[in-house]
Amino acid sequence: MGNLVLNGSSSGQITVSPPAVAGTNTVTLPATTGTLLTTAGGQTIGGTETFSIINATTIQVGGNQAVNGPAFSAYQSTLQSISGGTWSKIALQSKTFDTNSNFDNTTNYRFTPTVAGYYQINAQFSTSNSASGGYAVGAAIYKNGSAYKLAITRPTSNTSGAFISDLIYFNGSTDYVELYGYADQGSAGVIGTAYNFMSGSMVRGA
Amino acid sequence: MTLRDKICKIYTDLTFLDFGPDGTIVLQNDGDSKGDYIKSWTHPTHPQPSAEQLGSVQ
Repeated sequence: MGNLVLNGSSSGQITVSPPAVAGTNTVTLPATTGTLLTTAGGQTIGGTETFSIINATTIQVGGNQAVNGPAFSAYQSTLQSISGGTWSKIALQSKTFDTNSNFDNTTNYRFTPTVAGYYQINAQFSTSNSASGGYAVGAAIYKNGSAYKLAITRPTSNTSGAFISDLIYFNGSTDYVELYGYADQGSAGVIGTAYNFMSGSMVRGA
Repeated sequence: MTLRDKICKIYTDLTFLDFGPDGTIVLQNDGDSKGDYIKSWTHPTHPQPSAEQLGSVQ
């Protein structure tokens, strides 16, 4: 059988053309009303359909997808002293950006994404009083109030920092992360956007 | 005087390494009104000091 041509109410028409290969292929239309596909744009494809897009100039995807998932970057902008030998939460009072308003920079200084998925989280703690000679400086990502991933360095200069990064799953409701810093010596954090910070972005949906 | 300083006054043989990332005494501060506190204590010989002991350190 050749092509199936459907004539419109005016001069337009649609042609359904089967592939020139052996075998049986089936086109199944959904049992719902509405437009399945159009050249006008702005249409929504829901459910679990699988489809391919070839030679597309612009693709827009809704739902829990990394392409438009939350991203943030927060940093410390006010001096904070911590006790030596004590893992201390670092207050990150300022934000460079927070696309989904998921970072609390006023009360708990934590990132609580409201979209479930896997996030790349980066964090750094620096101190101006680390002192050289084997004293440790640490940065830790705390997840839901407990140490989750840690980085330790033993600096050779008096101003130094530790950096930590990991891929972390968030359930999109209650999971959160915070930055904790550690210094063997009593410490005052170095202030500035480049020193004490945490940032992150969704890289994969749940 | 910090919490670590008080503990070291009670157990004078402790060093900063006991409180370090590889140590057996973990102190923490969650940025709330609780301040510095003992998160965990797994030192092999010294028992965790009581609040009374810590409070009496001058």
